[in-house]
Amino acid sequence: MNLSYRVYYVFIRNLVSYKRFVVPTFLVSLIEPLFYLITFGIGMGAYLGYFGGKPYLFFLVPGVLVSSVMLSSTFECLYGTFVKIVHEKLYDSIIATPVSAEDAIAGDIAWATFRGLVSGTLMFIVAAFMGVLPASMPSVLLLLVLMVFVGVLFGSMAMIVTSFAPNFDFFNYYTELVIMPMLFFSGVFFPLDKFPGWMKTFSSFIPLTHAVNISRAVFSGVYRPGLIFSFLFIFTLEVIVFYISLKLMKKRLIK
Amino acid sequence: MKPIVAAKDLVKKYGELTAVDGISFEIREGECFGFLGPNGAGKTSTIKMIHCVSPLTSGTLIVNGLPAHINNRALKMITGVVPQEITLDTGLTVYENLIVFANFFDIPKREAKTRIADLLKFVELEHKRKSKIDELSTGMKRRLLIAKALLNHPKLIVADEPTTGLDPQAKHLIWQRLRQLKNQGATLILTTQYMEEAQQLCDRVVIMHRGKILREGVPSKLVEDEIGREVVEIRIPKEEDEKIMSHLLPFSCGHERVGDTLYFYCQDGQHLMKKLIELNMHNYLNRPASLEDVFLKLTGRGLIE
Repeated sequence: MNLSYRVYYVFIRNLVSYKRFVVPTFLVSLIEPLFYLITFGIGMGAYLGYFGGKPYLFFLVPGVLVSSVMLSSTFECLYGTFVKIVHEKLYDSIIATPVSAEDAIAGDIAWATFRGLVSGTLMFIVAAFMGVLPASMPSVLLLLVLMVFVGVLFGSMAMIVTSFAPNFDFFNYYTELVIMPMLFFSGVFFPLDKFPGWMKTFSSFIPLTHAVNISRAVFSGVYRPGLIFSFLFIFTLEVIVFYISLKLMKKRLIK
Repeated sequence: MKPIVAAKDLVKKYGELTAVDGISFEIREGECFGFLGPNGAGKTSTIKMIHCVSPLTSGTLIVNGLPAHINNRALKMITGVVPQEITLDTGLTVYENLIVFANFFDIPKREAKTRIADLLKFVELEHKRKSKIDELSTGMKRRLLIAKALLNHPKLIVADEPTTGLDPQAKHLIWQRLRQLKNQGATLILTTQYMEEAQQLCDRVVIMHRGKILREGVPSKLVEDEIGREVVEIRIPKEEDEKIMSHLLPFSCGHERVGDTLYFYCQDGQHLMKKLIELNMHNYLNRPASLEDVFLKLTGRGLIE
């Protein structure tokens, strides 16, 4: 492990490069949540009545918000990083400088986390305009911390996939078989209470489930003790996955 | 002069494949040192170990008094690398490529700006400062790679086939610049497949083949020792060898047949040429021996893939 403050320089490189894509990505980050919130929240919500005393939209927002962080950071560390390693050989030139391979990889994960934060924040703003707000101002801080955690976790997981992906097509396995199912098993769109026991157990091993739980508490203001476990679960997993992603990616970069 | 790079029994393996097979060499401070060899000879693997992006399998490698190691940031700080492949950041402009890269070396912004202005002048790319990378020709991209390699004012410059795919104008400009850097005191390590490039730039070369060093020395001296001064090439079918050989052999110090051509290596081609005229032969050529002859003689004339 050879990490240093130079992670920041790699982040800056991504930021400078990002300038050209700001407008399209902001548009996507805005339209995507609007699409979810309008179709599911308003369309489907009309049939669903009230969830815990509030319209369905209030149930939906916290889950969709963390999922958008997850998706943004995932795609950044899959496609974004892959282009930089394979197509542009950018990492090859970076590791020939005092920036180490670990710095470069962590810099990309940091960048993916930032992209996740941007998506999550835009979603937050859209939801606020629709009248869905967190229970209190201090809980917004908690939400920010959660978004960072989710970004680092899913960025690192995607980085692991990228570390052995032979080509772009390979990413479909991960997005279709891991990320998409995660959306439906983690209680983003509906509560998990009606799942049979084994499905509930399965869900409790999905990191997104825990992120959704925390996010929902931020919006509802109801904090159950189980949330501490959720936080620890995400944090522990994140540390492990981050470490593995650096190891594996370094192996791909340095031969 | 003291060596800036000293390698002893250097080995590099990729799984089963041995790319560098126990080589030893020394590179002196301030010289231009060339690694020559066909594809797969182990040149790139060797220099990657020198500039600390590839770990050694075994042996020792000391660069500027420090052991080469992938985590050796101090060595990376004093090394400039001109890569074989064009590794420019296509998402950024020419200027942005340089300013972002300067960051990696902890060069303060103001200082970086001055250096970039100087370097763009040096590689004649001032007018392309704001261009995107896609808008540059291959020659311009290679020049930008040189500017990028010089941002940290390197003591050691490693250039891996820096003129691949360039037209003669661009190639000569790059040679000019590399010589200029050497004159300013930098040590230059070069890999190339172009013998002309080696003769133009290198004080000393090693010829590598299949992971081993076959010869080491000053280019002109290598040519004289291995080949002689001149080469006479005769385009003649193999069947006729017997007829002429006895007449020609007394005048050459070595000969070789490759396909439809007979090569004679001589100190002086005059006598052999006279004989050829006497024999009424037509399709022949007398030329000075070059490093390319040494290279082909040592690494074989067959295709290496």
